[in-house]
Amino acid sequence: MTTERKANGKPFVHHHAAHCESGVTSALLRDKGMDISEPMVFGIGSGIFFGYLPFMKLTGLPISTFRAAPRSIFRKTAKRLGAKFVTKTFRNPQKGMDELKQVLKTGQIVGMTTNMYWLPYMSERFRWNFLGHNIIALRETEDGFRISDPTYEHPMDCPAADLERARFAPGPANPHGYMYYLKSVNPRPDLRGACIQGMRSSCFMMLNIPMPIFGVRGMRFLAKKVIKSPDKLGFDEACRQLVGLIRWVEEVGTGGGGFRYMYAAFLQEAAQLFGSGELADLSKEMHAIGDSWRAFSVTAARIVKQRIKEEETFAKAGGLMLICAGREENFFENLNKVVRKLKT
Amino acid sequence: MELEKEIFKDGMPKGYYTQNDNGKYVLETNHCWSEEVCVAVIVSEVRANIEKARKEVLSGLKSPLYYHMEVRQMDPKFLAKAAGIAVFRVKRHMRPEIFAKLKPSVLERYAAVLAVSLEELKTVPNR
Repeated sequence: MTTERKANGKPFVHHHAAHCESGVTSALLRDKGMDISEPMVFGIGSGIFFGYLPFMKLTGLPISTFRAAPRSIFRKTAKRLGAKFVTKTFRNPQKGMDELKQVLKTGQIVGMTTNMYWLPYMSERFRWNFLGHNIIALRETEDGFRISDPTYEHPMDCPAADLERARFAPGPANPHGYMYYLKSVNPRPDLRGACIQGMRSSCFMMLNIPMPIFGVRGMRFLAKKVIKSPDKLGFDEACRQLVGLIRWVEEVGTGGGGFRYMYAAFLQEAAQLFGSGELADLSKEMHAIGDSWRAFSVTAARIVKQRIKEEETFAKAGGLMLICAGREENFFENLNKVVRKLKT
Repeated sequence: MELEKEIFKDGMPKGYYTQNDNGKYVLETNHCWSEEVCVAVIVSEVRANIEKARKEVLSGLKSPLYYHMEVRQMDPKFLAKAAGIAVFRVKRHMRPEIFAKLKPSVLERYAAVLAVSLEELKTVPNR
């Protein structure tokens, strides 16, 4: 937690967060005077999800995401809490930077989508072409911008040229300088209603999307693929794919266990808000699901390291994923029933 | 093993949610062991790719463009989309004899996308 100055001289408190987009959203809301935590934003914006996208590749590895589409968390949270917000994209990089400077001068703080590779303060392990990293610009300095990146503990400095390149990173899925900020927030937000909406939409996304690659179905689809992968692709390539999968479970700012611990934290807060014992039980169940995702990632890492070859096989890793899928199906069906009983 | 410990000593710990003694969720910075393994594999793969590309360029099998593409962790498809040049042309430009004959206008487009100067684009570091 560090205090930083904004363009109009008012203080901004930088909080460390696990995930970039929910961290940015909660920081923007907190800056407007609403006291809201990161897990709460993640739950209200229905961040939890699963999708396996074999046709979209980043650095040669298929995407298997554990969160909802980028940019959706901010939009959903702001809408459900009744906040007014502005989003913009630009064709011309120069216009994008000018607009950013102008908005910063009015004392606003601005969220932006960037490509992780081009941010100069990143260390080597973060430098890959991931085009959905969210950061906040606080103010303009002499030769650049003061950046609050919620996944790190302290605010950073970023030169203007590098920020421009990161915001308008050439290539597929160019963020086009996507920026967003809040105009005003509802002074008395309907927190309970927003929680219910968020949970119901999460249940729908996990259980009812009629495509085999999303939600619980997607997990089963991927698990079967993992089991077959050493025969189909060869051991080395299968290991490479598995490493890509571990990265999506543990590495990309998930808060551990593929966002499942963060969702458990949200359910705990919601249980206090509604005074509901059922939600508290579900929070414990979600924590257990997070533990089984972590067990999967550790098993997968052992396969990659080739420790205890006879015990740690691809079949075991795939089996653990199938167990996760079964538990999550059960969990979201229960959550659906519990949410219907809650009153705003 | 050393690489795993080394790349995590960069002073940029990420947050992870864990329960404290009272059962409340708090943010801590202890990462899981599997993350170390996965990041070490990916980082060493990227480094090996760059080194391999450098050797291939020096031995005259590939053009310097191939090396700079690997440094930026792109593939021909990505680079083609970024530079606005067809994929088959980008792949063709990986051949040294064809790269040597390229017009400055094409080279400038590559240089802008890869964020290197024109002189750098034509050479590779000779360590």
